[in-house]
Amino acid sequence: METTTQQDTVTLTIDGKTVTVPKGTMVVDAAKTIDIEIPVFCYLEKLGPFGCCRMCLVEVEKMPKLTTACTLAVNHDMVVKTTTEKVVKAQQGMLEFTLLNHPLDCPVCDKGGECPLQDNTFKFGPPDTRMEYQRQNRDKATPLSPVITIDRERCIACQRCTRYSEIIEKDQALVMLDRGFQNRVATFNDQPYDTRFSGNVIDICPVGALTNTDFRFTARAWDLTNASTLCGHCGCNCNMTLGTRLNEMKRITTRPNDAVDDGWICDKARWGYDFTKSKNRIQKPRKGDETLTIQDACRQVAAGLKKIVEQYGADGVGFIGSGYGLNEELYLYQKLFRTGIGTNNIDHKTYLDTPGLPVPQWDLPAVEAADLVLLIASDPTEELPILDLRIKKAVTRLATQLVTLNDQTTLMDDYATPSLRYNIGSDAAVFSALSAVLSGQPGPGLEATGLESGQIQSLADTLKAAKKVCVIYNPAGLTGASIHHLKQLLSVIGQLPDTECGALPSAPATNALGAMDMGVLPDFYPGGLPLADVAASQKDWGENAPVKPGWTALEMIEKARSGELKALVIFRSNPLVDFPGGAAVLEALQNLELLVVHDIMETETSRVAHFVIPSNGPGFDEGTTTNIGGRVQQRTRGLVSDNPHDWKIIAMIAREFGDETQYKNVFDVTAEIASKVNGYAGIKRKAIRREGKTRETIASVNGRLPEAEPTVADVAGSLKLRVADFLFCHDKILDADSHLAHQFKPSSVHLHEQDASALGVKAGDEVTVFAEGWSVKAEAVISNRCNPGGVVLPKISDQQGVMGLIHPDHAVQWVQIKK
Amino acid sequence: MFVFSEAAESRIEKILAKYPFKKSAMLPLLTLAQEQEGYVTPEAMIEIGKRLGASPAYVESVCTFYTMYFTKPVGKYVIKFCINISCHLNGCDNLMDYTTNKLGIQVGETTADKKFTILREECLAACSEAPVMQVNNKYYVALTPEKVDQVLAALK
Amino acid sequence: MTQILFKGIDTPNLTSIDVYEKQGGYAALAKAFAKEPDEIVEMVKASGLRGRGGAGFPCGLKWSFLAKDVFPRYLCCNSDESEPGTCKDRELLMKTPHLCIEGMILCAYACRIETAYNYIRGEFEEYGEIMDRAIAEAYERGYLGKNIMGSGFNLEMYTHMGAGAYICGEESALLTSLEGGRGEPRMKPPFPAVEGLYAKPTIVNNTETLCVIPFIVNNGPEAYAAIGTEKSKGTKLVSVSGHVNKPGNYEIVLGTPISEIIDKFAGGIRNGNKLKAFIPGGSSVPMLPADKVDTPYDYESLVAAGSMLGSGALIVMDDTTNVVAEVLRITSFYMHESCGKCTPCREGTRWMHQILLEIQNKVGKPEQLDLLTDICDNMSFKCFCPLGDAAIAPVLSSIKYFRADYEELLASAKAPVA
Ligand SMILES: Cc1cc2nc3c(=O)[nH]c(=O)nc-3n(C[C@H](O)[C@H](O)[C@H](O)COP(=O)(O)O)c2cc1C
Ligand code: SF4
Ligand code: FES
Repeated sequence: METTTQQDTVTLTIDGKTVTVPKGTMVVDAAKTIDIEIPVFCYLEKLGPFGCCRMCLVEVEKMPKLTTACTLAVNHDMVVKTTTEKVVKAQQGMLEFTLLNHPLDCPVCDKGGECPLQDNTFKFGPPDTRMEYQRQNRDKATPLSPVITIDRERCIACQRCTRYSEIIEKDQALVMLDRGFQNRVATFNDQPYDTRFSGNVIDICPVGALTNTDFRFTARAWDLTNASTLCGHCGCNCNMTLGTRLNEMKRITTRPNDAVDDGWICDKARWGYDFTKSKNRIQKPRKGDETLTIQDACRQVAAGLKKIVEQYGADGVGFIGSGYGLNEELYLYQKLFRTGIGTNNIDHKTYLDTPGLPVPQWDLPAVEAADLVLLIASDPTEELPILDLRIKKAVTRLATQLVTLNDQTTLMDDYATPSLRYNIGSDAAVFSALSAVLSGQPGPGLEATGLESGQIQSLADTLKAAKKVCVIYNPAGLTGASIHHLKQLLSVIGQLPDTECGALPSAPATNALGAMDMGVLPDFYPGGLPLADVAASQKDWGENAPVKPGWTALEMIEKARSGELKALVIFRSNPLVDFPGGAAVLEALQNLELLVVHDIMETETSRVAHFVIPSNGPGFDEGTTTNIGGRVQQRTRGLVSDNPHDWKIIAMIAREFGDETQYKNVFDVTAEIASKVNGYAGIKRKAIRREGKTRETIASVNGRLPEAEPTVADVAGSLKLRVADFLFCHDKILDADSHLAHQFKPSSVHLHEQDASALGVKAGDEVTVFAEGWSVKAEAVISNRCNPGGVVLPKISDQQGVMGLIHPDHAVQWVQIKK
Repeated sequence: MFVFSEAAESRIEKILAKYPFKKSAMLPLLTLAQEQEGYVTPEAMIEIGKRLGASPAYVESVCTFYTMYFTKPVGKYVIKFCINISCHLNGCDNLMDYTTNKLGIQVGETTADKKFTILREECLAACSEAPVMQVNNKYYVALTPEKVDQVLAALK
Repeated sequence: MTQILFKGIDTPNLTSIDVYEKQGGYAALAKAFAKEPDEIVEMVKASGLRGRGGAGFPCGLKWSFLAKDVFPRYLCCNSDESEPGTCKDRELLMKTPHLCIEGMILCAYACRIETAYNYIRGEFEEYGEIMDRAIAEAYERGYLGKNIMGSGFNLEMYTHMGAGAYICGEESALLTSLEGGRGEPRMKPPFPAVEGLYAKPTIVNNTETLCVIPFIVNNGPEAYAAIGTEKSKGTKLVSVSGHVNKPGNYEIVLGTPISEIIDKFAGGIRNGNKLKAFIPGGSSVPMLPADKVDTPYDYESLVAAGSMLGSGALIVMDDTTNVVAEVLRITSFYMHESCGKCTPCREGTRWMHQILLEIQNKVGKPEQLDLLTDICDNMSFKCFCPLGDAAIAPVLSSIKYFRADYEELLASAKAPVA
């Protein structure tokens, strides 16, 4: 933390009270700190001063005219008055102007009860209006997009929404058209305003001009029960308010937390919660077709597992979790499997990753503090949308430079200097080469990487010249075992003499970092404790703690197929769709003697399970998650389900295995995590309640080192496949009834123009992507999204079945494309 | 799809060379597009946005701010009568009435043969030669009904 | 008759560089290049020249406010001329474009500027073309481009056409417009001299202001300061329009009584009528009644008389005029030209227009005069930019001096409606 000195602060007087605030603070904000309210409409700190509504006029000594407090930065010895006769007259006058053409339809307006215009009028307004003319008639309630309604009659032209579109989203999709009194908020040619972050304009509109179409007329704001919760979609864990009524989700709004979301949420957070009322939810536990009570289900599952352990040994069972569970759930599951059952067959992902970092774990605000952000194999726009906004802010409004290093083009490249594109599958070589240049050692050649040594050299120079480098990497976007090369690169950057370096591991799943931390890994106990450290493992986890490495998730599937694995518990994961392997995965799962699926929604996998147990999931659950910045926050529930919390279910099964620990509530589990998991010592319910708290950096230890990578030889007529994330993927969570259905995209495959012409494929052609006896239909897009020799296939739905194209053993998958 | 003509392209090159930031070419390019099509079409806005690194919405927002851009078709000759104070003091209202009657259209309308559109214009800055009108880019000052007749007759 | 700007203005072909040079054009460049840039700034300061675009800010002082050592920096000549009543810059552009170019070069040299734009209102397309040709000639002669006349000074000059928006005459809106945006004014501070075009230090001067610079450089600041009054130095182009026999642009020595401008220059009130009212400085300044016609035409005297010199447009109304109709016209103009960014201007101009329309159509009510006055008060100095204040000037002043005109209309409104 930098210390504030006197030079950084300014002391001034407002209404006779003295206040000291940081330099550069606007008078409105300074007043707020001493509870003096200066009314505003257009001002929003995040958008910066604009000064168009003129509502915030104040008197400042030595200034002849009234001044807008939202555009006036504080100055030493400034004397501000906010309640003089002149000011009051101006405020009343301004409100009169503002209301001239505003329909006073508060009784039927969704903003009613939480409307700054209503509030300001009440507090500062004129006794009555002298306007006697017909108000200007404008469009009432027309769709601005399938999910936003605009009522242009209510708009007061504060330009918050259009400035948001320009300054925050950087899309300039929402603009002011026409001039003067005719001006109006609109999109180009009246197309829908359907960006990834469009919904925030609803929250910032100070009147009822922009409303949530889904929420309109369904409840009054004051009738809602509001839960301060977190979004359960991506790894940013944005803060949001879940408004419910009669135990039904009504709407989601922002709950600004600068350390996480900077005040915004993406549209998937806002409208991606229809799953809380979906018909496809798993309602009751069942065995085959037979509905069970939770108690019976737990008992029978435990009995089934025990039987297999007795018959085949503990390694006959395995657990596949996911990055979507809460820390407490994941922690309890790994504890059950390790200490209750005695196996390390525990995993939660299909890519390779190891816990911990060789450099400090940085939190999201570091993106703004850094002078260089190095974004590796990450596509925040589709994977971690709020990070996208944060990076854009840092690059366009602060002095941050962005460098992207990826095998595919992303929208972030527009903000990057430079953006470097390596060939699919050459990440390990690129990272090694960069490490070598940075440490002045001979490195591997760059043949077949698509990059040139000059580019690596200049990136190395940039890194060396930077004071603060923030590396953001997506382990799920790497191929083979290159995560190890990446971590080596991090440690090399960390050792540069004049460069401070920190990192954010940015796997897209909600709690990917938490899952790693909680030890849902075959080779690490929680807190990054390696199995290899037998003494420590047994000290923390008991004499019988298993120390033999377990199987990875992919290995478990393979072992199920070969018959070595007999039972599998799958928590919040759908391997039939999300794992590589295609038909082989089904074959493997069907080969199991016992398959237990614990999930929110019915999936392809739940349909072939012997036991199915309902998981509550976001909205209903309570506990903590750890975001990509290492910040642990509390997710509270806004909805109540008939089923017990997941942690209780897991504890119930564990009890059958002799774990008698009594937890009163989920926070007792949190407390146990704090006491047992490296890095989580300070994570107490109280400490995290408001803004969360970052857990300490977990130092990295090398994981199981990969075997020599098979060389990726060119396969004639084949292209290397990169599966990309797409934010609005039509999966079990954003299902057909979703309010985001308009965002679903058809299947498309992105080709380089060279390959397209070699294949005779034209843009728009309907093509089939083949591999491993599997095929996916897609429309060809000639976008040069990756280097020649590769194709990008965004995962747009579960049905599309892209993962079937991949063989689990392949670091890089070759595919063929046919018209 | 909108495509700038070859002649326009060579002018665009010169226009872009004037400015350190290409967005500055917004107004000139809108003007060129209008010269080419008679008005600024949505397709032209998309094209201009692409060239200048602006969203089509941004282009539309700029375009609709300025009164000289049309977003709907207008006549071959756009007659703009100044109606501000100096012209008003010199009888522009009568003159405009005279012209609308003569052409058989109201202000804001276009003749059926698509030849003339009549518009009201705020001050054209030729006040000391009031009353004034502009036909396309050409000024006609110290107008009388006879002069209007002559001007209109000369327009083919 | 002292003529600085209009000297030889009607010489045939003055738009051609040869003719202009023959009249002594571009002679100031060599003189300037022999001096340090800062000396030119000092000369302009000493001349007492004030901005002719409307605000009357001392020109040399503005130049000295440029952020030190920040480059590049820009010059924007403001040829957006759109203030009702004002048509002087048009005449300069049309007839003597090289004078403007010469002034711009001198300003650029004095301010160490290497890129200059002339922002010309869109309707002036013809004059933009004249300007473009003149600039091309100046390049050919080596007055523009690299290392001008061996001085080591470089200057690129371009025209930039507007597209129909009065507000773009306001300097910060002009810059936004030149950057390719909607011509909405920007917050000040920062002022253009610190953060202007492309966020770089920028000088914005009116066309007429810049056209004066060659005289100052050629003849010395004293020669200029010797003309005019104590505080209003030099000559001023006055656009006389309305009910006069010889409307036109006249170059007058500051301090000349308005009566003299009307009678001597503009040939008196037409049709032998009497003067009723006049607006001395364009639609944005308060109108005055006939009894103030002896006011000397200079910045201070006009302020003392309750109005302003503004952009130098004298609009004359004879005694056949009911000023309400004219105020309605002007108000309609401001309503049309309000950029819409700030609430009081956007809403206030329209509201005033609605009320004035009723009064003019004889359906008004007497209370509306107080209401109008109060709306003006609620707008006064509270809008984002001076357009809002401009919009209230005609309304307030007409109610003050010509209440009878309103009352006449209000009285006939009371007549029973058939
Ligand atoms: C609404 C408005 C319109 C203006 N229009 C013009 C104009 O058309 N031409 C002009 O030179 N100045 C105009 N100005 C004044 C400019 O903002 C600026 O003061 C002037 O160009 C500075 O040049 P000067 O110092 O040489 O006068 C306008 C100001 C306002 C507030
Ligand atoms: S729609 Fe709302 S946010 Fe947008 S300009 Fe209007 S009042 Fe402001
Ligand atoms: S809040 Fe200050 S002008 Fe709008």
